[in-house]
Amino acid sequence: MKKSQKNKKNQVSSKPAAKYSENSSTGQSANGQSEKSSSQANAGTAVLERSRGYWAETWVRFRRRRLAMTALGYVILLSLVAIFSPMIAGTKPIICQYKGQIYFPCMGYFYPSWENPVFIHDDIVHAYPRRLKEADPESWAIFPLVYNDTTYRVRENDMPGRPENPYGTNGVPSLQNLCGTNAYGYDVFAMLVHGTRTALLVGFVSTGLAALIGITLGAFAGFFGGWIDIIISRMLEVVICVPTLIMILAFVAVIENPSIWHVMVIIGLTSWPKIARLMRGEFIKLKQSEYVAAARSLGASRFRIIFRHILPNALAPVLVPITFSIAASILLESSLSFLGIATSSSAISWGSILHNGHQNLAMWWLTLFPGILIFLTVLAYNLIGEALQEVTDPRQRGSR
Amino acid sequence: MLTYIIRRLLIGALTLFLITLIIYGLIRHMPGTPVTQMELADPGHVLSPENEAMLNKLYGLDKPWHQAYFTWLGNVFCGDLGDSFVQKKSVASIIASRIGPTLLLSVTSLTLTYFLAIPMGLFAVVNKGKFSERFLSVLLYVLYSVPGFVAGIGLLIIFYQNLGWLAPGLHDSGYENFSFWGKIGDTAKHMILPVICYSYASLAYLSRFVKANMEEVIRQDYIRTARAKGVSPRNIVLHHAFRNTLIPFVTLLGLSLPALLGGSIIIEQIFNWPGMGQEFFKSIAARDYPLIMGMTLLFSFLTLLGQLLADILYAVVDPRVKLD
Repeated sequence: MKKSQKNKKNQVSSKPAAKYSENSSTGQSANGQSEKSSSQANAGTAVLERSRGYWAETWVRFRRRRLAMTALGYVILLSLVAIFSPMIAGTKPIICQYKGQIYFPCMGYFYPSWENPVFIHDDIVHAYPRRLKEADPESWAIFPLVYNDTTYRVRENDMPGRPENPYGTNGVPSLQNLCGTNAYGYDVFAMLVHGTRTALLVGFVSTGLAALIGITLGAFAGFFGGWIDIIISRMLEVVICVPTLIMILAFVAVIENPSIWHVMVIIGLTSWPKIARLMRGEFIKLKQSEYVAAARSLGASRFRIIFRHILPNALAPVLVPITFSIAASILLESSLSFLGIATSSSAISWGSILHNGHQNLAMWWLTLFPGILIFLTVLAYNLIGEALQEVTDPRQRGSR
Repeated sequence: MLTYIIRRLLIGALTLFLITLIIYGLIRHMPGTPVTQMELADPGHVLSPENEAMLNKLYGLDKPWHQAYFTWLGNVFCGDLGDSFVQKKSVASIIASRIGPTLLLSVTSLTLTYFLAIPMGLFAVVNKGKFSERFLSVLLYVLYSVPGFVAGIGLLIIFYQNLGWLAPGLHDSGYENFSFWGKIGDTAKHMILPVICYSYASLAYLSRFVKANMEEVIRQDYIRTARAKGVSPRNIVLHHAFRNTLIPFVTLLGLSLPALLGGSIIIEQIFNWPGMGQEFFKSIAARDYPLIMGMTLLFSFLTLLGQLLADILYAVVDPRVKLD
């Protein structure tokens, strides 16, 4: 117990040294010294050749948190499901041979025109297993794990011997439809699998955009101060003061037939203030530090100081609101599709299944399964964010 | 202090101006006008071009949006929020009729939240590390991540669809004829679910907030002094530590002002509750410009006011803070 505490203290003391070594050449010797002392204190445990960088250090600390690691595992699993969604559930073959050619029709789930038009022309699309054989007896195909579609109801003998999907209140979860079917007989499991793509994409794209805007504006406001700061702070306040949903509703309503990409951009455009505010604070704090003064005295340009010297050191704390923002934007997108706004048939969203669930309260499976998925995803990102917060916050590092 | 308040008020006025300008610009660029939306809602009621032009002129839709904005702004300065295009009533009277149901939910839930969250947070600090504390923390953390609309529909399915105990909406039909107690019972029957939905997430957030603040305070020197004097742990928590955690609470109270009157679009939509949020949602769909603007103005004004109040109260409660 005592040893591990010592070890932790050591890591804390080695961290600023690592920082300096990145930013000034004179820090090198100081770094070496601290290593020597750390290896002395650490005698018996691992001898560190070179102190780990800040990010590696953060990762080591993060990895100790079992709950956060589970959450990270869940997010990775979800990403895999998103990437391989057309191979998990769908009615288009993963790979097939048709009239002597090899095709990958399942790519059509990613982007409609990636499905070869020959299948539409030969009227095969809505019942691949049966019609492929009818059109070309020589053909073969490998189908996804679950034969079900997100946009139409599978009928009897689409796949030889398979009964048709039930619909309405008869669509209770069964072996054929793992999570039941919706009012029209579309399979809920397939919709959930394909909805993963939307959810993760929304999280990354809109938060990426928000982070880009927030970091840039926050950095400029904090570094330059003066008029730039005043203008950016005013913008920030304007965006913060309008309740998010109201702002988004107004934006979405402006666009005719908004697609999922529009929604992502709009969510990104409205969720940058928190990141910008934190970034601004970090820059105000860091621009007064010695290594910035050192860089300046060496003649580094302002651009270089911002992006090479301050930004890498300010990024860690900003990771926390970024992670929370991913959770928030996934939540926001699903609440928008829940409200029935900005839903397009091309992108299936968990929220739109819930929208159906609200209209058909008797079909509990329309609420339960997407609800659990949204909940788990939000929980996972929150757990990761929380762990990051504790791991990167120097005040909490010593404790626990 | 006075100069600070005046400066903040001026900045706030500028912010309000920018917000309303942006929102006005946005809503005027939405596809469709109140006139076309009315025709959509009632296909049998197609207007002749002359009538349409007349209505456009009446609503001020024939003018460019910035001109119309300043007309609206001028009217606001005279205390006139305008009339709703769709409902043919003044915006102020619509807001007045909707604010009651929203307040009923938000005040109940706010009171409930604060009354429950403080003891829960204190309980967590006192029993830190014990099983009961761990269990409570995990439960609250999980609750915090449950999206409101998921919980809302779930509750509806259980208590309305399957059990039939509670109901969405504001009242049962025939509410006017109920006895006094019947009315109270009916209101409770309709209120319970939305109040739960309103409260659980903020309850989780608040009790974690109380706990975090307490843990911060408990590390202070004066707590160690009190402990050294031999004050009982219970007394330390209640008299020495808790009072000092109230300071950040004041900020939080100020910041909850907009939610108090603004309601929640999603929860009111789920439970079909005729409050501010639902009205706003409807007004966007109907392109009812004056109503949208009136409510946006109210929401933004409350947000700014809440922030100002929070900052001022902070200085009042904590004499070390100086506003300048």
